[in-house]
Amino acid sequence: MSPASLDEALVAAAQGGSAEAFSRLVERHQQAVRAFLRRACGDWSAADDLAQETFLAAWSRIGRLKAGASVRAWLCGIGYNKHLTAVRSASRERARGQAYEDDREVTLDAPAEDKIALEKAMAELPAEQRACVALCLAADFSHAEAAEALDMPLGTVKSHISRGRARLLLALGVCDDAS
Amino acid sequence: MTQADDRLKVLFAQDEPPARDAAFSTAVMEQVMRRRFREDVAVLSGVSVVGAGAMWFVWPTLQTALVAVSQGLAPALGAVVLAFCATMILSGGRPAAALGLGS
Repeated sequence: MSPASLDEALVAAAQGGSAEAFSRLVERHQQAVRAFLRRACGDWSAADDLAQETFLAAWSRIGRLKAGASVRAWLCGIGYNKHLTAVRSASRERARGQAYEDDREVTLDAPAEDKIALEKAMAELPAEQRACVALCLAADFSHAEAAEALDMPLGTVKSHISRGRARLLLALGVCDDAS
Repeated sequence: MTQADDRLKVLFAQDEPPARDAAFSTAVMEQVMRRRFREDVAVLSGVSVVGAGAMWFVWPTLQTALVAVSQGLAPALGAVVLAFCATMILSGGRPAAALGLGS
């Protein structure tokens, strides 16, 4: 069974009320959703909280997921909306700030300078640009899949990726061999 | 894919969570089951309140009728209760499903 048809079978079972099927969907997609949210918000602890909220919301809305739709894109879309809501809450951002700083010391690997430069450059990108970069450059989403997940026009996604990529490469001091 | 993209990918890969994370999945499913339990309690409470209200409303009439037909009604009532219990068990013990109120 292909991953897409397995997803489809699991979604159908979850729509019928099977918590076991939903649990398997969580297992299959937690990595993609958490990785996307970590890159989109930069704060690992907040990202994991948002990922949990994303799956909880997905459980409530699973009945609305159309047959054949990409589960990964749908979940990332829910996560992105939750992230935008969290960004608007300034107090929450401040509260999480210290936790992120504590986390960074533990999770960073070599080459640390490049990683820090990348995180800094990502943090400076506008939220939409950052989300597009996180999906397409880091997670192998197609442009169309990212457009579906983020509810943006395809052209906007392409433009965000192009600009975001250029800014990241500039921050890393990497020569863009594509141009 | 260019070398620059490869380099970005390598750096991004350091943020990747594990492919399997039992602690995360368990935490999510715990919240899901907690929500499901709350929904079940809400449905049962609602049904109980509505049932009690209806019973209070019809009791004066029902009491007279029950006394009159109690001898003949008892086996049929037993069968209805038995059928409801069987439906509950077959639907996984979920009251909302047994009452046909969705998943």
